[in-house]
Amino acid sequence: MDNLPENLKQPMIDLLLAVADDKLMLGHRNSDWTGLGPILEEDIAFSSLAQDEIAHAQVIYELLSPLVDKTADELAYGRSIDQYRCAQIVELPDGFDWAVAIARQFFCDHFDRLRLRALSHSSYKPLADVASRLAAEEQVHVDHVDAWIVRLGKGNTDSKQRLQTALDQLSPIAPMLFEPVDHEAELITAGLYPQAETDMFHAWRDVLQHVAHEGGLALELSPPNAGAQGGRRGHHSEHLKSLLDEMCEVYRLEPGVAW
Amino acid sequence: MSKIREHPPDANGEMTSPKEGDLEAFAVFVQLQRGDPHIYAGCVDAADAKMALQFAREHYGQDQPCVNIWVVPKQAIAATEYDKDLIWRYTDQTYRLARGYAKGVREKWEKIRAKNDLDDYEKEDLKEMF
Amino acid sequence: MSGSSNVGMHIDHNVQEDPEKLAEFEAKIDAGQLIEPDDWLPQAYRTGMLKMAEHHANSEIIGALPEGEWITRAPSLRRKLALTAKVQDEVGHGQMLYRVSQDLGKTRDQMLRDLITGVTKYHNVFNYPAPTWGDIAMIQWLIDGAAIMNQKSLADGAYGPYVRTMKRINMEEAFHFKCGEDMVLTLMSGTAQQRVLGQDAFDRWWYPSLMFFGPPDKPNCRNLPPMRWRMKTVTNDDLRQRFINRFVPAAKDLGLNIHVVKKSDDGMVIEKQLDPNLHYDESTENWTVTDPDWEEFYRVIRGGGPCNKQRLSLRRFSYEQGRWVRSAIMNGRAGLPPAA
Repeated sequence: MDNLPENLKQPMIDLLLAVADDKLMLGHRNSDWTGLGPILEEDIAFSSLAQDEIAHAQVIYELLSPLVDKTADELAYGRSIDQYRCAQIVELPDGFDWAVAIARQFFCDHFDRLRLRALSHSSYKPLADVASRLAAEEQVHVDHVDAWIVRLGKGNTDSKQRLQTALDQLSPIAPMLFEPVDHEAELITAGLYPQAETDMFHAWRDVLQHVAHEGGLALELSPPNAGAQGGRRGHHSEHLKSLLDEMCEVYRLEPGVAW
Repeated sequence: MSKIREHPPDANGEMTSPKEGDLEAFAVFVQLQRGDPHIYAGCVDAADAKMALQFAREHYGQDQPCVNIWVVPKQAIAATEYDKDLIWRYTDQTYRLARGYAKGVREKWEKIRAKNDLDDYEKEDLKEMF
Repeated sequence: MSGSSNVGMHIDHNVQEDPEKLAEFEAKIDAGQLIEPDDWLPQAYRTGMLKMAEHHANSEIIGALPEGEWITRAPSLRRKLALTAKVQDEVGHGQMLYRVSQDLGKTRDQMLRDLITGVTKYHNVFNYPAPTWGDIAMIQWLIDGAAIMNQKSLADGAYGPYVRTMKRINMEEAFHFKCGEDMVLTLMSGTAQQRVLGQDAFDRWWYPSLMFFGPPDKPNCRNLPPMRWRMKTVTNDDLRQRFINRFVPAAKDLGLNIHVVKKSDDGMVIEKQLDPNLHYDESTENWTVTDPDWEEFYRVIRGGGPCNKQRLSLRRFSYEQGRWVRSAIMNGRAGLPPAA
């Protein structure tokens, strides 16, 4: 289908915002590493991945644009905090700790890849087309971050310890990536957000554990509590406010003008 | 801007950490289209070939469309020396080049065709006469 | 973005070069041939080239810092992407220039350590602050514009690895400059507030961009090794004049005023007046402007600039913070000799 039924329009908007906001905030955090990475070559590579995330966010905002009558930039920069749908894990600052940056990337990229693959089968054609292209790029990210997980896990006691600490720090909040947007079940039933036979959470947990174990790391993940309210419903950490204040500092000088 | 960028921790004087040395240098060759030759692009420093590929694709594969990458340990490349190693000979090498034959071949064709023309003319001429 | 205009060449006169080999080497240079690392090189050329490439690499790596501060604040998705890509390019240029230097015999690790402990220098221009988005536009227009002029001349040099790196860098630098031009045009054709941002940033960056090309020429500069051996091909003053002739008319077209300024210690303009010496000389076809304050230039080089400390501390933080990562992947490989 090329047009959405009226009753599914708002849930679809929320879902697309979740996809784009996750990517924008993750890309924003990672882009801050440009020039400060642990090795020059990785600095360059990690910056490319950050640019991909921001570019992906832009593509999704553009897809949303006609549905909400706002430009991509207005969507990215011009909403109040409760209108963002990103998960809280992408809001966290990493303090330029490479272990935290890599662990966060690990949880988010694998989730993103699975979500994009599901969306590439969406009955909403404009979305399916975009998602299948983005999913291919997300695979590059997954390969990149998996290599780091294994390398640091197997590196030496110090690196293993640091990465384990970062994984332990993020693993309680990472599953909230799966928090559904309002009326997500209806999108699934309607084939707009089709789910594969294996539940996406279990697919995610299995692949993360497989990679972590290859690096000799432990990883426990439980599905989010059914009633938990987080970023997908507009409940954000304090970090998102400071992130947005920083991100929108220039935009807010004169919203709507060209920069 | 992030607090660390604005107020990085004060650090002065000598480094206390030991020197690290460098990772291994890998030469990177990029292929811009399937079927084209791979072209030398530059180097990356990496722990092994897998990491070198990971770095090379982002460093040398993003400023133009690129379909394939090779990495080779730089140390593994053996090279000749400009001043010592003569590669191309000074003597006439045209015997092994197509252009060494171009002129001769053209002249020979012209001769043969001219002769054929003459023979044809003579044949025709004879027909008309008798 | 960068340049290596202020690298001095200190010749060790104790090194006696074989006169025959030196003559052969200079004949190659005069014949316009490119020099390769495995060729016979005078000791002073090898150390001079290493110093020049290292200084250039340091400048790229430090140059990533002032603009890096604005990646998280870029006002649109496109600008955010472009600025990230631009700063990323600078890291890439640094990586390639460190490789040129590594091949001349110094490890990258040692170069990074010398940079953050102040043993080696980087380009002076990065010791100035970028307090607004307007500065990002002006840096990319003026400083990258200056860098292109400088690096185009360096691409006509004689040292093969450096020349090839310059050619590659110049391709990317063209994107930086165009993007900067686009940002400056947007600001100066924008709202009153945007034009003020543009003018204020221009006032902060005009003199650093004139100083970008290095101190005034010494009378004999064309006969000193850097130019005799085509490490440099155009003098500082000639490059500076080209820059002035290109940018004064453009600034006037954009409605930017050229001011002589007085700055506070933190690099902010506290006094300004229209440049009383600004005029076009019909006979030489050159624009004339008031000279930069060269005392300031030397003061900043010696560490007295507004941001010297912040830049080095941040770069050092990055080095220290990344140490455990490098140590993990070195896997006992630390201490590899520099690649031949």
